[in-house]
Amino acid sequence: MKTIKNKWFSAIMIIFLLAILSFIVSGFISVFLGGEASGGNVAIIPIKGVIIVDNLKIFGQQVSSSSSIIDSIKKANKNPEIKAIVFEINSPGGSAVASEEIANTIKKTNKTTIAWIREIGTSGAYWIASSCDKIVANRMSITGSIGVLASYLEFSGLLQDYNITYQRLVSGEYKDIGSPFKHLTEEERRLFQSRIDKIHEFFIEEVAKNRNISEERVREIATGMFYLGGEAKEMGLIDVLGGKEEVKEIIEKELNISVSFVSYKEEKKLIDLLGELLSEQSFFMGRGIGSSLFDMRTIRGLEVWT
Amino acid sequence: MNLPKERTFKGPAIIWKRVAAFVTDILIINFILFFPFRRIITNMLPRFGSYSEAYEFFISNPGYSNKLMVVSLTMAIFAILYFTILEYKLQQTPGKMLFNISVISETKKLRLWQCISRSLFLIPMFPFILLWIVDPLFMIFTKTNQRLSEILSKTRTIETYVIG
Repeated sequence: MKTIKNKWFSAIMIIFLLAILSFIVSGFISVFLGGEASGGNVAIIPIKGVIIVDNLKIFGQQVSSSSSIIDSIKKANKNPEIKAIVFEINSPGGSAVASEEIANTIKKTNKTTIAWIREIGTSGAYWIASSCDKIVANRMSITGSIGVLASYLEFSGLLQDYNITYQRLVSGEYKDIGSPFKHLTEEERRLFQSRIDKIHEFFIEEVAKNRNISEERVREIATGMFYLGGEAKEMGLIDVLGGKEEVKEIIEKELNISVSFVSYKEEKKLIDLLGELLSEQSFFMGRGIGSSLFDMRTIRGLEVWT
Repeated sequence: MNLPKERTFKGPAIIWKRVAAFVTDILIINFILFFPFRRIITNMLPRFGSYSEAYEFFISNPGYSNKLMVVSLTMAIFAILYFTILEYKLQQTPGKMLFNISVISETKKLRLWQCISRSLFLIPMFPFILLWIVDPLFMIFTKTNQRLSEILSKTRTIETYVIG
């Protein structure tokens, strides 16, 4: 029979061990469950790399999918504790559709929205930034580049050199428009260009509307040229020169709150993280061989990129 | 002097002592074992102005309900571990030690499954939550002051009475 003193000692030891275990387990839980709403009152949503529609990972390339960014925007918007949303942009743009989807969602939020352009925020990324209440960028940030790109490599000459024939089997005259294996006719080029011009026009209209600048002025700027932060400020493409501190100041001044940032990111399961790691490793291993034969990054086919 | 020896016998623990011991244990669990989980919950959830705001938040964010359930279940496991390990090893928890009550088996030796099953009422899920109502009712209305979980696990909570 244990004495009372011994029993108390054993009980304290058991509780002590359980307490250590609870600290360890809670640590694991907070890592795996994440804490996107943790404490802060200003959500930061990163938009990094090429903007695409779906969560398809391009080997070794950083991408932001509109689906997951829209999810994060909606979550932040529904959270009563979040008073403002900051978009941390470091992207050269991407899919026109994905950019517009994100821009439209931003416009529907009932919170203060600020775009914070870091290294680069051009094309589709600028489209997204323009839909925010304010844009902050460094004086050396690259921004603007309001234009549309659908260029592709044509191999018809190469095929001819190797005596390979493209057997055209289509129903519908323009079904294979933009195929890299055949020469683009003048008629096809005209049709293609008219669609690209139309998307360019949408882009100009949106920027003009979002930034409250006349369409004529935006058309002058929208040559596809990129601008440094300082130039963009003079043109009215951005509002404030600066970084995170300036973003904080703007929010504190406008909303009269003490800002505490909280990151809203796509929730990744352990299996996704491992998958990503493996695919990146495989990519880097294969790149040495692959890049000498063929540069995949130049083939965009008929995708339209802003 | 040839005085007669003090006579003792073991009987069902008085209800108020059991309640007081349970409250003491819950306080220990809450302040020590649940302390790190409290930080997770406060970090995970925003502060709500009203119940309707909270309700709307959980409806529109089902992911949070699932996360909260994971944390609650983990906390429940720690509470069960507290009662199970202490009662299995010492037949007493600190609360029971303070009020001089202990756990015994109706069969020979107290076994681990008995200690686990008498603590299952701590799981915050159906059907276990029914025990939150049924267990105290059984304790009040049975002669031996046994909870339903105790009857099923063939255990009793007793105290030593001294006569004379």
